[in-house]
Amino acid sequence: MSAADTRAARVLSLTLDPDRDVDRIHGNGINTIDIEAVEGRYMLSGGADGVIVIYDLENYSGKLQYTCKAVCTVGRSSRHVHKFSVETVQWYPFDTGMFVSSSFDKTMKVWDTETLKPAEVFQFEGNVYSHHLSPIARKHSLVAVGTNNPKIQLCDLKSGSRIHVLQGHRAEVLSVRWSPRYEHILATASADSKVNVWDVRRASGSLFTLDQHNGEKSKASAEAVNTAHNGRVNGLCFTSDGLYLLTTGTDDRMRLWNSASGENTLVNYGKVCNESRKKLQFAVSRGCSPDFVFVPCGSSVAVYALHTGELVTMLRGHYNNVDCCEFHQDHQELYSGGKDSNILAWVPVLRTADVEDESNNDNKGAAGLSAVNPAFQDAWSSDED
Amino acid sequence: MNRKRALISDTFNLKKRRKGSEKFGAGNDKDEPKDIKSTLEYLMTLFPRKLFNDTLPQVVLKHQLYSIHNDKTLVDKEVNKLRECGELLMFQLGFDSEAFGLVFTSDYKTKVLAGEEGKGTRTTVEKFLEKVLPSCTDLSFSKDKMLKVFLFTDSEITQLVKSGVLTVREAGSWWLSIPNSGKFTKYFIQGRKAVLGMVRKSKYGEVLQADLEERRTTSQVKFPLRYHVHDIVGAELVESIPTTSGTLLRFVDS
Repeated sequence: MSAADTRAARVLSLTLDPDRDVDRIHGNGINTIDIEAVEGRYMLSGGADGVIVIYDLENYSGKLQYTCKAVCTVGRSSRHVHKFSVETVQWYPFDTGMFVSSSFDKTMKVWDTETLKPAEVFQFEGNVYSHHLSPIARKHSLVAVGTNNPKIQLCDLKSGSRIHVLQGHRAEVLSVRWSPRYEHILATASADSKVNVWDVRRASGSLFTLDQHNGEKSKASAEAVNTAHNGRVNGLCFTSDGLYLLTTGTDDRMRLWNSASGENTLVNYGKVCNESRKKLQFAVSRGCSPDFVFVPCGSSVAVYALHTGELVTMLRGHYNNVDCCEFHQDHQELYSGGKDSNILAWVPVLRTADVEDESNNDNKGAAGLSAVNPAFQDAWSSDED
Repeated sequence: MNRKRALISDTFNLKKRRKGSEKFGAGNDKDEPKDIKSTLEYLMTLFPRKLFNDTLPQVVLKHQLYSIHNDKTLVDKEVNKLRECGELLMFQLGFDSEAFGLVFTSDYKTKVLAGEEGKGTRTTVEKFLEKVLPSCTDLSFSKDKMLKVFLFTDSEITQLVKSGVLTVREAGSWWLSIPNSGKFTKYFIQGRKAVLGMVRKSKYGEVLQADLEERRTTSQVKFPLRYHVHDIVGAELVESIPTTSGTLLRFVDS
């Protein structure tokens, strides 16, 4: 079995991790999470209360069950905290010295992780729904920002300038995403049902608009021509090789597009419930064969096979709506955050020990018992019954 | 009842919903047909021809196929293949942008020509069926195409609209349509609403498919109940859950 098949098998066996939980710092719903790309050790989360928390995902406690501790927090008491809910957080792609957050308080702040103070604040005229830094950019340091305004702003981290504007949408821009393959390609999704793909080096408009009917004007009613969805498009995600783009919309559909040609691959995922009025953060696995998409669907996370559209499973565990999920590429683990203020970790279920090994385990005695989470240990029934 | 908060029992899976991969004896009374065409033929038999006095060809909706076959992408591909080779025609039915009607080309031709007996528009319609249908698999036609590619005159287009083969989509563009299908759409929507209501009003909003099919239907439901069941399952208006007593249909609150 190749490595890709093993990874796929691990994804297929994802369940809620009984041994690990994430420190509960947020008092309100969690809107966005991001795991840094360098080591995969630190996770950022942004909440509806404006608070930003950084967690350490590694287990150095030596025990099987552990809590991912919050390393530091930009809490309500900080002078620089966002006034309203934080919608997007993202680590600087090349090191964890910096991260960028954007919020409904119409600002985007570039933070220094060491001091937890913003090095730069960009002010906007409308709510900021989404921002994204290119994960591979070497030649530019642009942050694409999608706001209430149909124009997409590109802010330059190096110079602080924000003169570059992309015009083309007619309604608020709900999601922006750079391609992980070409550092100048940007995809943007808007409430006007359109998804545009841009090359930021070009002075004129977008490269192309995604058309759900692939040019067959006959299939659509006149207003639906050249739209990616029959409703607001609120989620964008490239596959890790950048060859395909996934979009989700309030028409309860998810579509897979060829990112080079803009062609709809017509993979049918069925009804993907989507009621979000803001951006939806979903994730795609990497290096698995076949690849999977993890989409928040109500209070669970739906797992679909990427190229066949088959619903593999629903991951249930949250008490309220799930707003965001992020896949840890190296460990094939999924983290999801939602309105119940919890971040849950989903891990591939470990293989149960074979029968021959059981006798060995008994000998371990006390060491073996500590593998059981104390919350599940039976501390009340007595042996006399 | 609109639940604003999810129930704890949903999170902890106390209802022990089974994963869909297991098959139960009572649930599978017909073997899964691997062939899309034979499924289409089966669904066509459910269509009530007598209701329309045999003037309409048998119509099946594309999403009814999803209720029988699990792989939606495969179903879409097969349907497109059949359309490419000219055996199947697809229509935009108008009440839902995602609801497409499927008719076998031969059925369509016979019924349309039968309906045109003794009418002045007959020759134009024949010309349309001979020239346009084999070469073009579109759902709609624009004025440009009709005039330049197929060489129809304005008056001929008017005749086609009058006969019901084309329906106005917007100024200068027409949908391909089934003549006299207004009644079909009306009865279909009425029946769908009624059957959905039956599921929704059942205790807990769910009913066994076998029970539902036994029930007496109101006068609103003019189609065979099975036709509607395939429709609501395929359109994901109800969830289809395999249980030991058969398939359970649960109303989806959306």
